[in-house]
Amino acid sequence: MSNNTETMVAPIISARGLKKHYQRGIETIKALDGVSLDIRAGEMVSILGPSGSGKTTLINLLSCLDAPDAGELLIAGRSVSGLVEEELVNVRQGVLGFVFQKFHLLPTLTVAENVELPLMFLRRAVDREKTLEILRQVDLENRAGHLPKELSGGQMQRVAIARALITDSKVLIADEPTGNLDKANGEAVFALFRRLVSEKNLAVIVTTHNLALGGLADRIITLEDGLVIDEHLRQ
Amino acid sequence: MRFMAFAFKNLFRRPLRTGLTITGVALAVAVAVSLIGFNIGYRQSIDVSIDKLGFQVMIMAKGCPYEAATMMLKGGTGLVYLPSSTYDKVRSDPDISAITPIFVGVAEKEGSGISDESASSFAIISGIEVESFVSMKPWMTMSQSAGHQGGRWFADEATGEVVLGFEVAEYEQRKVGDSYYMSITPYGQTEPVMSEFKVAGILERTGTQDDGTVFMPIGLARSLFNRPTELTIVGFKLKNFSGFALRQFEQRWAQLPEVQVVGLQQVKTTLVSLVETAQTMIASVAVVAIIVAIIGVINSIMMSVFERTGEIGIMKAIGASKSDIFQIIWLETMAICLGGGIGGILLALSGTSLVEKAIQSLIDFGTRGSMVAITPQVMLVALLGSAVVGCFAGLYPAWRASSMRPVEAIREGE
Ligand SMILES: Nc1ncnc2c1ncn2[C@@H]1O[C@H](COP(=O)(O)OP(=O)(O)OP(=O)(O)O)[C@@H](O)[C@H]1O
Ligand SMILES: [Mg+2]
Repeated sequence: MSNNTETMVAPIISARGLKKHYQRGIETIKALDGVSLDIRAGEMVSILGPSGSGKTTLINLLSCLDAPDAGELLIAGRSVSGLVEEELVNVRQGVLGFVFQKFHLLPTLTVAENVELPLMFLRRAVDREKTLEILRQVDLENRAGHLPKELSGGQMQRVAIARALITDSKVLIADEPTGNLDKANGEAVFALFRRLVSEKNLAVIVTTHNLALGGLADRIITLEDGLVIDEHLRQ
Repeated sequence: MRFMAFAFKNLFRRPLRTGLTITGVALAVAVAVSLIGFNIGYRQSIDVSIDKLGFQVMIMAKGCPYEAATMMLKGGTGLVYLPSSTYDKVRSDPDISAITPIFVGVAEKEGSGISDESASSFAIISGIEVESFVSMKPWMTMSQSAGHQGGRWFADEATGEVVLGFEVAEYEQRKVGDSYYMSITPYGQTEPVMSEFKVAGILERTGTQDDGTVFMPIGLARSLFNRPTELTIVGFKLKNFSGFALRQFEQRWAQLPEVQVVGLQQVKTTLVSLVETAQTMIASVAVVAIIVAIIGVINSIMMSVFERTGEIGIMKAIGASKSDIFQIIWLETMAICLGGGIGGILLALSGTSLVEKAIQSLIDFGTRGSMVAITPQVMLVALLGSAVVGCFAGLYPAWRASSMRPVEAIREGE
């Protein structure tokens, strides 16, 4: 637990009763069946749970990459329900940064260009110094000119994290960021998250299958069948 | 980084895929361009052949023979003349591109010394307007063989000069500058009047009845025959030559009571129908080729954008708006289509000239002109066409991908 006074700070993400149901034939799959949670700056939250428990579904809703069937979601104090596509882009921009399980770097761009790509969409000027500074934070400053195919998985994931950081995001949202990494690389990613939380006062939400890694977070939330079955602070 | 730079990086750092897509577009454009070019070139070379026929239609008085043989047989007695008012009427016809008046008469030849014992043989005289006549028969040139050098046409107002058809000169053994004698019976008189002319030029052999004709200025012929305003034949060329135009023209002027309209038989029966079937055939092949080309462009572009659904999802997840996606896809598609268009045109240009050379080495068409005419307009249309088609083809998958939720697009792209 980082700091008790932070509970007084307004949450960056606040979710109430989020539901997402999928219809498969006559069967209704309750991927999420009413999940509420708050995430504040400076805390790292991990979401655990067996396969199919709804982790990805929850992450996608919190990222505004997908819309809930029911429930309320506030991002930086702004309600996102009923917002159209272009408005959602605005809400995400500059607040939420994403890290995917499969990295999803653009293969045609160099490491530095991949990191700078979000700036193009935000119409912000590129500052190569800042890019290199962020690459330094993820230990990749000497790889700026490489193409993704020349990197290892762990390196690619750190590029993806740098890409999420370039826009000064307040929250990093990562779905299974270590799913395609070996143990050492997975631990490095989580260590990096911890450092970013404490040094930059970021909020991090991360899902994982790995109980040991999940246990490194400040708060551990466990899902099962679309419901929160356990929530506890780091021991 | 600007969108433009981004688009070009995407293209240049995927050389294989970009190359394949450009090749796909280029092949489609090449096929369409060469077929259209062939169609235009074919039409042009057919037009040239039609031009070479000389006049395509003649108008003459009813009952007047127009074959040299008939004129000879009848000794010129069958010739009937048209008043100049007829000429004034028909020259205002909107469909004609060229018109030339001709006065035909038959003169007697006596004592040439070479002909047989019969006292008189005949010479067919054509009184012509040099400029309009020669422009219809541009292949009529002065013979340059021995004794024929220095030949030229007479001036329209000349009074003592003639130009001889090749066979006339050969038969009478005349050279340029020699004298030539003919006896002409003026209208209204019974006795022929003998006149001396100077041979101004001798024509190259044409293989037509012009070879046996003596040409002189129309004004001179009219005054020698004492028919100062009349004429025998009016020759025409039509602006847009086709069987239909020819029939229309015939119907229009056959209504005048005094005239008969004579279309050149071989033109009517063979060339016209040949041209028209060939035209329709090539045109339909070209239409098919264009459709194939359009489908080819659509296919190449669509596949290349569909393939990137996942990438589009990621770009959206990291902040790209729909219009950003459209701009990027639009730029890339434009570049590919312009590249493919230019490549296709170059391919068509080099390909058709090779094929043409090969064909010409196998078969001699006797034509100088190119069979394939890839005009600047065709190139421009091909370029614009491929760009427009490509953009429409690219925008659909771009729209589809950018309308998906980013997660769906990413998942689909995996
Ligand atoms: N697009 C979809 N259509 C239908 N059902 C879906 C869809 N997405 C998810 N589901 C279902 O919702 C449930 C939750 O899926 P989710 O992907 O959130 O699980 P998860 O916890 O991320 O699993 P994993 O650990 O394997 O990634 C699953 O039963 C899944 O089959
Ligand atoms: Mg998942």
